[in-house]
Amino acid sequence: MKSFSQSLESTGIEPAARNVNGSSARFDRRLLAVGLWVFAGYYLGAKIGFALTFEPHPISVLWPPNSILVAALLLTPPRIWWFVLLVAFPAHCAAQLQSHVPPLMILCWFISNSSEALIGAALTRYLVGRSIQFTTLRNAGIFCLCVVFAGPFFSSFLDAAFVRWNAWGESSYWHLIRIRFFSNALAAVIVAPLILTWATNGIPVLRTAGRARLLEASILLFGLLSICFVVLYKFGPEADSAFLFLTLPFLLWAAVRFGALGTTTALSIVGFVAIWSGSHGHGPFSGGTAEENTLSIQIFLIVLSIPMLFLAAVIKERASGETELRESESRFRIVADAAPVLIWMSGVDKLCTFFNKPWLEFTGRKLEQEMGNGWAESVHPDDLQRCLESYSEAFDARIPFVMQYRLRRYDGQHRWVSDHGVPRYDPHGKFVGYIGSCVDVTDLISKDEALREFEERVILAAEATHHGVWELNAATNELWMSDKAGLMFQLDPEARLDKAMIQRRIYPEDRARWQATVEHAIETQGEYAIEYRILLPDGTLRWISGRGRCVPGKLGKGTRLIAVSVDITSQKEAQDLFHLAAEGSHLGVWHWDEVTKSLTWDRATRKTFGVSAEEEITVDTFYRALHPDDAERVKQSWRRALELRLPYQIEFRTKRPDGTTGWVDARGRSYYDEAGKPLWMTGVVFDITDRKKAELEALQHREELSHVSRVAAMGQLAASIAHELNQPLSGITSNASAGQRFIDRGKVDLRELHELLGDIVADGRRAGDVIRGLQVMVKKGVPARQRVNLNDLVMNVVRLVKPDAMLRSCELGTFLDPDLLPVEGDPVQLQQVLLNLIVNAFDAMSDIPVNQRKVVIVTERNGQRAVCTSVRDYGFGIPPEVSRRMFNQFFTTKAKGLGMGLSIVRSIVESHGGTITAENANGGGARFHFTLPADAAS
Amino acid sequence: MIPANSMVFAIDDDVSVRKGLARLLRSAGYKSEIFELASDFLKREQHTGPACVIVDLRMPGINGTDLQETLIQHGREEQLVFITGHGDISICAQVMKAGAVDFLPKPFRDDELLQCVERALVRSDEQRRRSAEKNNARRLVDLLTPREFEVMQLVVTGMLNKQIAAELGMAEKTVKVHRARVMEKLRLTSVANLVRLVETAGIASSERDGTKV
Repeated sequence: MKSFSQSLESTGIEPAARNVNGSSARFDRRLLAVGLWVFAGYYLGAKIGFALTFEPHPISVLWPPNSILVAALLLTPPRIWWFVLLVAFPAHCAAQLQSHVPPLMILCWFISNSSEALIGAALTRYLVGRSIQFTTLRNAGIFCLCVVFAGPFFSSFLDAAFVRWNAWGESSYWHLIRIRFFSNALAAVIVAPLILTWATNGIPVLRTAGRARLLEASILLFGLLSICFVVLYKFGPEADSAFLFLTLPFLLWAAVRFGALGTTTALSIVGFVAIWSGSHGHGPFSGGTAEENTLSIQIFLIVLSIPMLFLAAVIKERASGETELRESESRFRIVADAAPVLIWMSGVDKLCTFFNKPWLEFTGRKLEQEMGNGWAESVHPDDLQRCLESYSEAFDARIPFVMQYRLRRYDGQHRWVSDHGVPRYDPHGKFVGYIGSCVDVTDLISKDEALREFEERVILAAEATHHGVWELNAATNELWMSDKAGLMFQLDPEARLDKAMIQRRIYPEDRARWQATVEHAIETQGEYAIEYRILLPDGTLRWISGRGRCVPGKLGKGTRLIAVSVDITSQKEAQDLFHLAAEGSHLGVWHWDEVTKSLTWDRATRKTFGVSAEEEITVDTFYRALHPDDAERVKQSWRRALELRLPYQIEFRTKRPDGTTGWVDARGRSYYDEAGKPLWMTGVVFDITDRKKAELEALQHREELSHVSRVAAMGQLAASIAHELNQPLSGITSNASAGQRFIDRGKVDLRELHELLGDIVADGRRAGDVIRGLQVMVKKGVPARQRVNLNDLVMNVVRLVKPDAMLRSCELGTFLDPDLLPVEGDPVQLQQVLLNLIVNAFDAMSDIPVNQRKVVIVTERNGQRAVCTSVRDYGFGIPPEVSRRMFNQFFTTKAKGLGMGLSIVRSIVESHGGTITAENANGGGARFHFTLPADAAS
Repeated sequence: MIPANSMVFAIDDDVSVRKGLARLLRSAGYKSEIFELASDFLKREQHTGPACVIVDLRMPGINGTDLQETLIQHGREEQLVFITGHGDISICAQVMKAGAVDFLPKPFRDDELLQCVERALVRSDEQRRRSAEKNNARRLVDLLTPREFEVMQLVVTGMLNKQIAAELGMAEKTVKVHRARVMEKLRLTSVANLVRLVETAGIASSERDGTKV
C-alpha cells in the first residue's frame, strides 16, 4: 500500500494531464484514501482541539481541523477540493455534535472553517502554484501570509458573525474575531506545516536517514522533550518567562539540522507540551485566567513558530541553494569535461577560475598553472597582445566576443583556436565573470586559407587562360558569372543574372542544342562539353567552347551547374581554314598512339586509303592498304622513325579497294616521354596520286622524247653507222673471197687460212658490236642507272662519231682524267648527251676552214664529289642572244634541227643531279661543260 | 691479163679493210703494198711499172681526193680505185671526172674490185706507154730549134710552104730548109707521121708545157 504522501503526491502534485492518463480505478482508490485521511484527520483534529481548551474558555487554544483541512486542500488538486470538503463535513458534524452544538451552528462553523481553509489554500496555491514546501523564504512567507494570517483573519469575521448570529456566545464581535483568529492562526502555524512537511517527505526522510542522523534526531528529541518538560511543565507561572527561551536552542538545532520537518515537529512538541501543561495547570501559562493563558500561549507559540519556520525555510533555501549550486556545479563540471571544446571561466576580475579537462589536456598543463592569467603563457606571443586586448575590451563592455589566436598544444605546436566568450550572470542577474569555449580551428583556418588560395588560383587561372566561369542554380535558374565570363558574354556580373540572359546571347541556331545539352547534364547530374556560337549585342559572332559539370545540392540547396567557357573563335576560324585547306588539298590527319597501339584516322585519311568512315582502324588496316611492293619499305621506315627519333617522310603506293594504285606522301612527327620512349606519332597524309601520275607521265614523255631524240641522232649518224659497219663487212668479204681464191688456185696454206678465218670472225664481231651499240642507243628503255666511268662513255661515243668526224673533216681530241670517279648514271643517256654535244660541235664548225676544225673532249675529276666533262669546238662561238635560249625546248639554230637536243641534254644532266653550262672559250669556239656528282658510294 | 711489173697499192685507215684487201690481192696473184696513210705512200718511191692505187675516200690527214689531186699535179700515172664506207654519191662523180678508174662503196664485191684493179693496171700500163711515147716524141721535138719548131707547127696544120713563109715572115726557101731539117731530126718521112708525132708529144697549137714560147 502506498504511503499517504505518495498517494497524495500522485494525485496532488502531478499535472492534470497525467492523471487523465491514469486509470480511473486507481484514481478512485486514491480518492478514497484521501477521503479517509481527511475524515479521520478532521475528526481527530477536532477532538484534539477540544482537548486543548482552557476551561472555561470556550475556544480552544489550537483548533486543528481547519489547519488539517487547509493542509488537505494544499495537498490535493483543486478539482477535488469539493470532495475534501464533502468528506470533512461529516467529520465536522460528528465532532461538533458531540459537543452539543446546534446544527445550524455546526453548519455555520463548517462554512467559516471551510472558508478559512479555502482562502488560505487558494491564495497559497495561486501564489506558489504547487505543493508548498518550506524550502524557500518566499514559500514560508506566503504560507504565513495566506494560511496563517489571511485565512484565519478573514474567516474569523465570518466565524464571529455566525456566532453572533447564532447567538452562540456572549463575547463581542471583535473579541470573537480575535479569539477565533488566534486560535486558527496558531493551528495554522503549528499543525498545517507539520502535516504538510510530514505528508510531503516525512516517511522517505525517515527511511533514508542514516544512523548518525537518527541518533542526532533522537538526542534532539530527547533534549527538547526534557527542556519542554522542565520549562513548560515543571516551572510554574512564576518562573521567569525568559526560561521559555531555553527551548530556542533546540528549535534552532531542529531548524538548522533537520529543516522544516524538524522544525515543525519540534514546534509541535513545544506547542503541544505548552498547551497541555497550561491546560492542566502546569507550566508558565497556568497562571492567570484561561483567556489570558490562552492568549499568552497563542502569542508565544505564534511568535516562536513563525520565525522558526522562516529560519527553517531560509536555512533550507540556503542549503538547497548551496546544494543546488554544488550540484549544478558538479553537473556543469561533468558537462564541461565531456565537452569536445575547451572551456574556461573567469571571474569579475578577469582572472580565470576554471579550465575544463579538455583544455588542460590540450595545453598539457595543470589547472594551477592556468588559473588567473597563467593561461596566457600558452598563447602565441604574436597573438597575445591582441588576445588580451580583445578580452579586456569585451569584458569591460560586458559583451560577448570571438577571437582567434594560437594556443600552444602539449606537443609544442601552436594551433589556431577560435575563442568565444560570453558574460555570465548569477540568478540575480549580477555579472560574475565570463565563460568561454575554444575550438581548434587550425584545420579550418588552413582549409580556409587553402580554399582561399585555391579560389584565387582558380580565378587567376581562369582569368589568365581567358576562361570564363559561371555557375547556374538549376532550381532557381539564378546565375553567377566571373568577371571574365561577364566580358565574354557581355553581361554585367554584378547584376542579377539568370539563365535566360545567357540563352539570349546564344546564336539562335545553337540555342536548342545548348538547352538540350545543359538540361541533360542537369538531369543526369553529369558533365557536358559543347561548342556553340554566341551573338553579342554589338553584332559580333563568337565561338564558345563550354564544359560544365553538375554538382548535386547539399543541405537543401539545389543542384548547381558549374561551367567554364572559352572563346575559341580564333581556333575555330583556324580550324575551318585548316579543314578547308585539308579538304582542298586532300590532306588527312592520322595519329598513332604507341602506348595503346591504336591508330586513328580522320575522314580525309580514310578516304585516301579507301576505308569507310565507320570501319575500325588498326595498324593492320594501314598495312593492308599499302602496295605490296612498298609495304616492307614503309613499315620499316615509320617504325625506324618512331624508335630512332628520325623524321618521317615517305612516298609510297597504296592499293585501293577498286584495284587501282594510288600514291601517298606521308609525314609524321613523334613525341617522346622523359625517358625517351616513344609516346605517340601524329602526322598527315597527302594523296599525291594525281601528282605522281603527272610526274610519271612527264617522265614517260621525257623518255619518249629522249628516245625520239636518240633515234633522230642515230638517224643523223646513220652514215657514220653505215660506214662503221662497212669496214668490218668489207673485211669479211675480202677475206672470204681471198680464201676461196686460195683454195681455187690450190695454194692452200692452212695456217694462213686459219688466220684468215679468224679475221673474218673478228670482223663479224665488230660489226655486231656496232649494231648493238646502235640498238642500245635507239631502244626505248627505262633508264637504267649503274656505275659508269665517264671516260669509257666518251671513248664509246668517240668511236661512234669518228666516221662522222672524218666526213666533216673534224679532228677529235680527248683529254681524259685517269683519276675520274665513277658516276651513277644511265650510260645510254649519258652517251646521248656526249653525242649531242659533239655533233653540235661538228655543226658549229661547218663553215670553218678544214684545218681548224677540232673538237676537244675533256674529262676531269672535281675534288671528291664530282666529275666534269667538257666538249669544246673551234667554231664561231655562241652569240649572246642564243646563249640565253639555247637550252630551251624547240630552240634551234639549225635549219633542219628539231630543237630538242640541248633541252634533252640539260634534262638528262639534271636528272643525274648535275648541271650544264655553256660559254665561249678563249681562242674561239664554244665550250659546253657539264658536271655530274660522283657516285655516293665511291 | 695482168701487165708485167704491176703493183697494186692499197691505202685505208681501217685495219680490217687493209687486212682483207691484202689477202684478196694476194689471192688474186697481185703484188701489193698496203698503207695506212696516204702520206706514207707518197713518201715511197714511185713504182716503175703499172700501178693501181686502191684508196679509201675519207681518211684522216690526206684523204683520197687529196691524194688524187696530188697525183694529178705531179703527173703520176698510178690509176686510182676509190673505195668508201660512206655513201656519198656526189663525191663519186667528182673523182670519176678527175680520172679515177672506179668508185666502189664498201662492202664491195671482191670480183668487182679485182676487175677494177685489172682495168686500172691495164690503163696504167697504157698510160705508161703513152707517156713513154709522149716523152720520146717530146725529146725529139726538143731537138728542134725554135724556128724549126714554129715551122713544124704550121706544117702540121697542112699549110703550104708559101703560106708558112708568109705566116712566119720567112722566105719560102728557109721554110723548106727548116722543114727538111725537122723531118730529118725527127726521122720522119711523111707529114702524116709528123702530125702523129706532134700529137703524141701532146703539143697542141702553140703551147708546150708552157716552157717554150
